[in-house]
This record gives sequence, C-alpha cells and structure tokens, in this order.
Amino acid sequence: MKDFTASRRTTLKLLGGAAAGALGVPYIIRPRPAWAQSKVLNVTTYDKFLPADFVEKFQKDTGIQVNIRLTDDQGKQYNLLAAEGANPSTDMVTVAGHRYTQFIASNLLAPLDTGKIPNWKNLNPAYQNAPWTKVNDKLWGLPILAGYEGLAINTNYVKDPQSWDVMFDEQYKGMTSYVVSDFMTIVMKYLGFDGDFTTYVDKPEEAQKATNAARDFLIKQKGMVRKYYDAGSEVQQMFLNEDIYLAQCWSGPAAKLIAEGHPIRLSVPKEGTFGFCYTLNIVNNAANAENAYKLLDAILADPAVGASMTRQSGFASTISGVPELLNDLERAANSLPQEQVERIVFFSSINRDMKNEMIDKATAEVKAA
Amino acid sequence: MNSGLYQATLGAAVASQAGRLVLLAGVPLLWLVFMHIGPIYQMAKISFLVQYPLQAGQEASYTLANYAIFFSESIYFLPLIRSFIFSFAATAVTLIVVFPVAYYVAKVVRPDRRSKALLLLLVPFWAGELIRTFSVIMLLANRGALNVLLRELGFIDRPIPMLYTSFSLGFGLVYLICLYMLLPLYSSIEKIPKHLLDAAADLGAGPVTRFRRIVLPLSRDGIVSGCSLVFLTCIGVFATPMLLGGPTTVMFPETISGFFHGASDKWPVGASFALIMLVSALTTAGIFMRLVGGKATKLM
Repeated sequence: MKDFTASRRTTLKLLGGAAAGALGVPYIIRPRPAWAQSKVLNVTTYDKFLPADFVEKFQKDTGIQVNIRLTDDQGKQYNLLAAEGANPSTDMVTVAGHRYTQFIASNLLAPLDTGKIPNWKNLNPAYQNAPWTKVNDKLWGLPILAGYEGLAINTNYVKDPQSWDVMFDEQYKGMTSYVVSDFMTIVMKYLGFDGDFTTYVDKPEEAQKATNAARDFLIKQKGMVRKYYDAGSEVQQMFLNEDIYLAQCWSGPAAKLIAEGHPIRLSVPKEGTFGFCYTLNIVNNAANAENAYKLLDAILADPAVGASMTRQSGFASTISGVPELLNDLERAANSLPQEQVERIVFFSSINRDMKNEMIDKATAEVKAA
Repeated sequence: MNSGLYQATLGAAVASQAGRLVLLAGVPLLWLVFMHIGPIYQMAKISFLVQYPLQAGQEASYTLANYAIFFSESIYFLPLIRSFIFSFAATAVTLIVVFPVAYYVAKVVRPDRRSKALLLLLVPFWAGELIRTFSVIMLLANRGALNVLLRELGFIDRPIPMLYTSFSLGFGLVYLICLYMLLPLYSSIEKIPKHLLDAAADLGAGPVTRFRRIVLPLSRDGIVSGCSLVFLTCIGVFATPMLLGGPTTVMFPETISGFFHGASDKWPVGASFALIMLVSALTTAGIFMRLVGGKATKLM
C-alpha cells in the first residue's frame, strides 16, 4: 500500500469539511416539538417536586406519558426556553417566585385558563388571588409550594435568637453560612433598606447606595462565614456534619431536617424576611398544553399529592387540606408562630431588572473580596 | 470478506491516497471539531453578542463591551489571580508528592509487578470526580473521619475546622488531579536507563547527586507534561472549589458561572470571561513548557 502524508493544505481542507458538517448538525438534530404526540407531557421541574407515585397514577389514569426533565437552576431553565423560542422542548416549567415576572416578560409562559382546571377551588384561597400571581391582569402559573428565607439554627449550640444579629455574633465565628445573593436582600432589610427594591423604582442611585451598604457590611463580616452555599442539600449537609450552627436557609431544606428529627429550628427574626412560591407553568407554544392542564387539575384533585410534595421537598403545600394529612413533626416543621408569619413579605414582581442587576454585581463583589 | 464486496466497498475507499486519508483522519478530525473547536467557537461567538439567548425574531448584534467589563472592573481580577496562584501551588505540591511515587513504581518495583502497582494506584480514579470530592468532605468535616479519629485518640476536645478552607481545597485538588502528574512522570522515569544510575553510583555519586544530575534532567519531559496537564486542569476546575472551598477561596470559574446562573443572565459576559481564562491559561502553560522543556517539548 502506498504511504501517504497529510500536507497542511489537505489537513485544512479536511478540517474545514468537518467543521462545516459539525456546524450543520444542530439543524439536523435540533429538538422538534411533539406536535403529533397527544399522549405525551414534557415537564421540567426540581427533583422531588412531583411525587413518583402521583406521576405513575396520572399516567395510568390518563394514558399520558409524563417525561420529567430535572432542573436545579432557574437560569438554565430560562435560557434553554428562551433559546428554543417558538419550538419549546418542554410543555411545563417550574418557576421560582423571584423569576416569575422575568419568564412572563420574556414571553416564555402562556397565561393560565383556570376554567380548564375544575379542581382550582382546592387551591388554598390565600394563593388563588395573591397579588404577585397576577401580571397584566392574567394568571401565569399554579402555585404548588411556598417557602421563605428563614434563620436556621442547631438547637444544641444556639439558643432561640430573635434577630439576624446572631449571624454576626463573634461567638459563632466560622459557624455560619448563607446564599450571598439571598442574604444580601435580608441584610438590606436588617440595615433598614428595602431589600425587595419595590420603593426604588426610577431611583437607581438610592438603590445602589442601599445595595452598596449591604455589600460592604457582608465584606466586613466575611470572617464570620464558614461557606457561601448555593444548593439546599449543601446547607443540610453542613448542619448534619456540624460544620455550621446557623444559616440563612430556604424553609424547605431546613423543614426537611426538622421533620427527620434533627436538632434544627427555623424562625423569622424580628427584622423580617422574604417569602416565595414555586409555580408550575405551561410554556408558550407548548405542544401538549391540554395534557398540562390535566396534570395541574390532577395535582389539585387530592391533598395527598400536596402532602407528598411537602414531605419530599420540605416546602409548604399551597393545596387546601394538606396540613391535616401531615404528622405532628411534619406539621411543626412547616409552621411558625403567627407573629413570625406576619414578618414574611412575599417577593414582589416590581422592579426586578434593577434588583437582579445590582444584587448580582454586589454578590460577585462579596465573593471576590 | 468476499473479495468482490471488499473491492466495491472498503477496498475502493482505501485504493486511493485521498480515500485512506479521509478514513484515517476522519474520526480524529470529527472528534477535534465536535469536542474542542465547536464548543470554543460557540463560546467565542456568544462572547461578542449583545444578548444571548436571542428572543424569537431578534437579530444578533455584536460588541466588545463584554471583554471591556473584565478590564474595567477590578473585582474580577482577584479571582483570576487567585486561580492562578492556587493552580501554581497545587501543581508544585502535586509534583513534590507524586514524583517519589512515580519513581518508586518505575524504578524500585520489580518490572513484572509494575503494571499491578500502577493499577492499584489508579483504582480510586475509577470512581467519578464528584464521588471522590464527597469522600474528601466525609474525611475532613467537623464530624468527619479525621476529626472523629483525633477526638477518639484524645488529641483534641473540639473538632478542627478543616473543611471549606484553603487546606481542604488544596488537599482535594491534589487528590483529584494527581493522576495527570503520575502517568507522564512514570512514563519518563521508566525510560531512564538503569545503567546510568549504576555507573554514577560506581563513580561515587550519592543519591542527591544522582537525582540532580541524572533523574531530574532525564525526567524533564514528564515533569513538563505533568505540570502542564495539572495546571490546566486546576485552573479550570469548577465543582471542587465550590464543594470544598470556603469564602476566601472563590475561584475564577465560579465567577464565570455567576454570569450563567445569576438572575441577570449575562451569558455573553460569562463567555468572554471564559475565553479570557482559556487564553491566559494556555499562554501561561505554553510559556512554562517553552522555558522548562525547550522547543522540542510536547504535552504527552
């Protein structure tokens, strides 16, 4: 056989050909909406939000095959949906409260027609007409789980704190943890500013001043922190390993530890905190929107589904009748004294862009410092 | 294979030089394009966009502003510098820790047992990176194996906070990446002729002199390759600093990820930062390879 050698020109030709082929591949293998698949429903949601036994029963009852794609980050979900444009590869997404208006403003969600959900009446009335759920006079999602940003403590080492002050107490140096971006809004509140930016509409200088104050405070207190975390599982692990005694924590992960009998307590300090809801939403141009309505209706049909969601995620269910199905420990994990409930302010839908811009930058600055 | 069929198919393809070239070069070229050039090209393209993802019907417009952010905001320098310093330190420590191991396997272990010894060293790497990272957490946590052992032995009353510190990050990184140092080092040390070492010993050279005059110069290629691989792996590592690091060990990849995950969704800025990191890391590794290894040095 004749020997051959690849000259630079030949190699470049081959490389060019392969590159052209590679660039063409996305157009060949791009996801296509399942227009003809009337018995399919594609759902993007967090791990353990939709109970497996419920999904199994729903599939059996309706003959609709539910394909679940797990997400762990709102940004990934948002960007994927935005990139897919008019041909979304998912029919439903799970949106966290702070992203709700962003998804709507980007035209990624379809307004919800509650007339197609016969069991809508089973949604807790507090969520049926909550102000934050309506944007442009339309409802855009079914609230499924609710939570808040609380102060979690290991009761073996910390005694009943009343203020966020305790997070900066020298005796707990190196034993605290928080999500920087979330805690920054709480620190703004703690310092007397508006952590939700609703009063800063058209007042960017004032907002920046408040953000900078919280940022500088957190940088000054950096020595107090054991770790900046991002996922609920991380803070759970740190509590279990006793690497931390205190944390700013989403109520779900902390409530789950409490329900499992660990010495953790969750409270809302006197300065207050923020609450949020996860909504299940039908995406704009969803290929299987009718199936999505059937799923939403099935979720609301039986409070046992809500109870199962609460047990799995730790967050409180928005469905009426769920507390009665939980045991004492599970109920205690998700309940607060009335005076603490009143300290929770739900994230607003106003002025999100300004808030996101300033908080993201300040978060990067705190981490980099 | 039936010769007629062979001639009609593969035979025809290999009959010409161009056909053979396409068959042989096709797979590596496709690999190169799909796995390396394609993603980097896409990242570079995004880095110049004003907005990404584009909304339906929106025209793409391009800008250099995403790169300007890095050079105009001093807060982004620190994580990059920190990443470089940490990567240099981790590379040096890995070299110091792994060199004796590689030497032992290559020169002290009997030749018929070397494969088994290497296999034994590679066993931990059969588990995934995340699993090994979590094993470090279980080892170093306040209620981890090491603190429990020290407490049981009576050396400490309270746990030593080892996790989420520079120590835990360095320890974890060295553990995770030592393979990239071990294999090139083993490969180059094994090639050192034993008679050179014997001759040097016969002429009165002590162990230190033999190491300095023979082992070190002749294993230079392995050192350069290992250090380059470890450095480049270290500087881009994302999950390990996130899981093992603390508030003062935030690295540049985490800063970059903030642009992809933060509520503002600035993918183009994140992409430009990723390109800046890629270019600066490759440049550093290239300079190192040229300075230490000379013109002829190759990565593997």
